[in-house]
Amino acid sequence: MDRRKFLRYGAMAGAAFAAPRINPDFFFTAARAADVRPLTFLSAENITGNWDPTSHTTLSQSNIEGFVMGFLTRAPMRPETPDEVIYELATSIREIDAHHLEIKLREGVSFHDGKPFTAADVKATFEYGAQLDRPKQVYPGPTDTFEVITPDDYTVIIDTSKGGYGASLFIFLASYLPILSAKDVAEGSKGALTQRLNGTGPFKFVEQRGNDTVMEAFPGYFKGAPKIAGVTFSFVGDATTRMLSLMNGQADVIERLEPEQVETLEKDANIKLSRLVSVENKYLWFRCSKPPFNDPRLRKAAAHAIDRDMIMEVMGSAGQASSNYVSPIKFGYFDIPNYPKYDPEECQRLLAEAGFPGGQGLPEIEYITSTGFYPKTKEYGEVITAMLQEQGFPVTLNVMEVAAWNERLYDRPGGGPGHMVDCGWSTGSPEPDLVLRTHFHSTSKRICGIEDPEIDAALDAERNAESLEARKQSLQTNLMPMLADKVPALSLFTSVLIHGMRKDVEELFIYPDGLSDASKTTLG
Amino acid sequence: MFILRFLARRLFQGAIIVFLVSALIFTLLRVVPGDPVRLMAGGMAPEALIDQIATEMGLRDPIYVQFGRYMGGVVHGDFGESFVRPANGAAVGGASFNDSTRSERAKVLDLIAQTAPKTIQLALLAMVFALIIAVPIGVWGGLNPGKLPDRLALYLSSVFVSLPNFWLGIVLALLLSVKLNLVPAIGYKGFAYTILPAFVLAIEIAPFIIRNLSVSVAGVMGQTFIDIARVRGLTRNQIVFRHAMKNSAVPLLNLLGVQFSMLLGGVLVIEFIFDYPGLGLLTINAVMQRDFPLIQGIAIVTAAAFVLINIVVDLCATAIDPRLDY
Repeated sequence: MDRRKFLRYGAMAGAAFAAPRINPDFFFTAARAADVRPLTFLSAENITGNWDPTSHTTLSQSNIEGFVMGFLTRAPMRPETPDEVIYELATSIREIDAHHLEIKLREGVSFHDGKPFTAADVKATFEYGAQLDRPKQVYPGPTDTFEVITPDDYTVIIDTSKGGYGASLFIFLASYLPILSAKDVAEGSKGALTQRLNGTGPFKFVEQRGNDTVMEAFPGYFKGAPKIAGVTFSFVGDATTRMLSLMNGQADVIERLEPEQVETLEKDANIKLSRLVSVENKYLWFRCSKPPFNDPRLRKAAAHAIDRDMIMEVMGSAGQASSNYVSPIKFGYFDIPNYPKYDPEECQRLLAEAGFPGGQGLPEIEYITSTGFYPKTKEYGEVITAMLQEQGFPVTLNVMEVAAWNERLYDRPGGGPGHMVDCGWSTGSPEPDLVLRTHFHSTSKRICGIEDPEIDAALDAERNAESLEARKQSLQTNLMPMLADKVPALSLFTSVLIHGMRKDVEELFIYPDGLSDASKTTLG
Repeated sequence: MFILRFLARRLFQGAIIVFLVSALIFTLLRVVPGDPVRLMAGGMAPEALIDQIATEMGLRDPIYVQFGRYMGGVVHGDFGESFVRPANGAAVGGASFNDSTRSERAKVLDLIAQTAPKTIQLALLAMVFALIIAVPIGVWGGLNPGKLPDRLALYLSSVFVSLPNFWLGIVLALLLSVKLNLVPAIGYKGFAYTILPAFVLAIEIAPFIIRNLSVSVAGVMGQTFIDIARVRGLTRNQIVFRHAMKNSAVPLLNLLGVQFSMLLGGVLVIEFIFDYPGLGLLTINAVMQRDFPLIQGIAIVTAAAFVLINIVVDLCATAIDPRLDY
């Protein structure tokens, strides 16, 4: 056999092998979607690869949970009605006394796997979600500080007498914690909980197909079957790509629009925009567990070097000015009177007091930020870097792709990478401790790594307050001014969540943490 | 028997090339900064745990020991598991170090097998588009050396080669997909999603084909056998399509082989812009996440494809011109 024959016979064999496998639909099926189609949602952030809702604090994955999981209550947190609570899996929540809370549950609800929803699921969720080893540990305290009693299948009583804090703290948490199936929780690590989502929400998790999370309408949803066929939630890393997808109709909803993109999309008659003051503040986190920012004077000096009005100019419509460590739509917000303001003289005074006059003698400071997820981080990062350098801080800005930044984000023993990190924190509940305790209590200290007994005591004091009013007073007169004085982080502004969506997307409700309710959504 | 000797020799040479590429990539990955164990274990993991995991995985052994172990797996078809990607193939971010509930990792070969067909499809369609664009222009230019068609081929090639592919991709997506609604642009849900990125790639590689064809056709048209063909009374079409083009095909074939191999490994930007789930997008994510086994696997598969394509190209060349001997 010569090479020509070998090639000829090889080609013929290949063609004969391939012919029966050709699917004509591959070439001729319409690329455009059919009449009944799923909602396509493009996300700016990747997921974690572990479906256990307590295993992460990743926003995109929480957004997916918002479609699939059920919550005891939901908090729309609109500025005009910040305290509004919508009962979902719960039908009522009543304070029996300072340490006892009674939750009545909805009957006739079932999980997507067919198991009926009962009080056992709420008990399992609260007890599992509060375990200290859960990355998204839910406060007010670990599992051994409270007891969940289930007198019958549809009543839950929470007893916090062991922990000594008020049971009312669970009121706000009710809209934050997705309710897991007790059966899934019982299977433990490596069980079903990590492999897929199983909730009581309007959409059922089908599969993860590469970067697409595929969900379909759950006909048995207790508020009625959704009108759309499902939701496809996809990670698309590039902001321009996401915008083009929305403009050509391939995507129905995209998130985290940049201000420039807003200008472009406003001119497009097929697109509408949703703007929401969010529960997310953007922070400049100081690594408090290592030099130089283990010295509060230097943290404060850096805070006084930053003119936040300049940052607001950069952010445009994507940010709202605020002067607190929590968003204006969270419980306890007020403009902290001693919140660090731009004051170069005070900055220099503090630098000198700390032994670094004019910044002389300070070590090289690395400022880590990301690009591609939060709007304008690189741009305002450059502004902050320039302002700090102007006061003598030898700062280098390190702009990273989201995955690399994510890897460097958290505190580690001995201090995490870099010295300052940009990150937002968003939790879908009015509960301020989901931010404050998470980041500033020495048992958690997610990013800044601060260990300060005074802050711990102030956090415990507000948590243990006997009423909501007493708690608010404790927050506003003790904890929040203390944080503004010790500056473990500087909250730069409150994010305005801007979503772009096709004109024909109706009745999509977006919560201030970015989660969506598409149970009544229609497409065209 | 000749064919068997040819294949044995070329495959042996190819194996050496793949081995050298593997060794180079393996070494380079381990000397650049960035600890993959940190990504695996999560941002909050203490250094002691990082060291423990790295030691358990053999990542603190000398590079040659790690390489020997890795190649031992490769020859048995085991390219290892991704450091960060779960079995469903999703691009993932950080997680907490002490979380015992993390999912199973994806096998590198599975990830490549899921994405490579999309990239091959993209590369093949890009080649088809490139030939449709370049052959008429290149042949016309070659048949009229020094005249307007030749100059036109040169100018067009210059314009095409000067267009940055990321810019062209965005502009064409805006024009053809957003404004005219002709083709979908982002992601992949069917064959139609390949058209636009393939067209952008075709514009990128067409100039090389145009120049190659116009030069080789012009050269062939100056040969004695073409003059004789005219004397034999053959028509111009017969001379061009049966003699000139066939003789110009061998250098073109070699060029196409190289271009196709480059497309398989060089579609990073286009796949990123169009969110096309092929090898390019997989490579970008793997590099950004320091996913060593995945980067190595992609490098080995791409190198092997390069070798095999060139063997096929040489076989095709000898089929066209039996005088060639490799």
